[in-house]
Amino acid sequence: MLDAVAREALAGLKEAGIDFVSGLPDGWQRNLHELVEADPDIKYVPVCNEGVGFSVCAGAWLGGRKTALVMENSGLRVAAEYIARISLGCGIPVLLLASYRGDLGDTEHWAVPHAIVAEPLLDALRIPYQVVRRRDELRAAIKRAHRLSEAQLHPVAVLVSGDCIWQD
Amino acid sequence: MALERYESLTRLAARLPRDALVMSTYIGAVSFEWAAITEEHASTAQLGQMGDVIGLAVGLALALPHRKVVCLDGDGSVLMELGQLVVMGQESPANLAVFVVDNGVYESIGSGKSGPRPTATAGRSDLAAIARGCGVPYAANVQTVEELEREMELAFTAPGCRFINMRTNPGRARVPPRQSDGFEAKYRFVRYVEKLEGRQILQLARQDRQLMKR
Repeated sequence: MLDAVAREALAGLKEAGIDFVSGLPDGWQRNLHELVEADPDIKYVPVCNEGVGFSVCAGAWLGGRKTALVMENSGLRVAAEYIARISLGCGIPVLLLASYRGDLGDTEHWAVPHAIVAEPLLDALRIPYQVVRRRDELRAAIKRAHRLSEAQLHPVAVLVSGDCIWQD
Repeated sequence: MALERYESLTRLAARLPRDALVMSTYIGAVSFEWAAITEEHASTAQLGQMGDVIGLAVGLALALPHRKVVCLDGDGSVLMELGQLVVMGQESPANLAVFVVDNGVYESIGSGKSGPRPTATAGRSDLAAIARGCGVPYAANVQTVEELEREMELAFTAPGCRFINMRTNPGRARVPPRQSDGFEAKYRFVRYVEKLEGRQILQLARQDRQLMKR
């Protein structure tokens, strides 16, 4: 994402009170991972697949941390098994912040399946979500998503695309 | 030579440090026996399932670095998601000790005419060696009571990220099924941690908080 947008995302995470982030970097959110890793107020736990990252976040929440999983939307498929077991089975919140690869504007053929699956999968997992395509909406969207996830004790997702990524 | 699971879990429960937290499986034979031995004590989070128990324990250990966290898992569950051992190795929380009940079979699904279905540890896979390869600083296979007692002594009296693979015989103790589902187990554990740590984890509704201030 654009560097200014990555800073907005970090501000949203911090204003939401998130102090524990796991995830797997992707092409769009690599700079956000770098910002999170460098932030002294956030524990950053890189993982090699998003399912493990989800489990780690859920465990940290049980210990009192506010958590987010940052990933590509393909990672939703990987994490789905553990989201179902942990969140549908026990009721544990984790904010999901995912690049919306394959959305309008994307240039990559390999990203197309990621978009086809993402929203139906979130629906299947009963995860409310917002697609953010405007830069000035991202910070508030992250904060509101996190508020709802803590209220409903279940994940909420923010999918990032549009002007957050592209300058055309 | 191998350990008996129920006896091993009983020894583990007896040795657990006071105020330690336990992340355990939520379904299957290990969870039933642990629940019976500990009378479903609130210090155990019976929340993990196939492939996520160690991941949950790593997160809990990182969230509460001053607290000893013990993880109880089974071989089939560890094998389902070996990536958990990678993050355990990378983070190496010094307050985390993982104990795996490795009986080499998928026992909880029952046995057919040919006996229980084997896991990969009945074949060529060695979980302690995999853990070491993933960067876990200390990993050991134990198969006698003496070895288990020695490893528990080390795990519970000194800091260090440890992976102890207990080679046990198949076979289960006659214990009743656990009483609670995942939601009840979650609330029970979180309320226990809130009291132990003196902090709020489940947030109060904002409107309620504002009303209380008036």
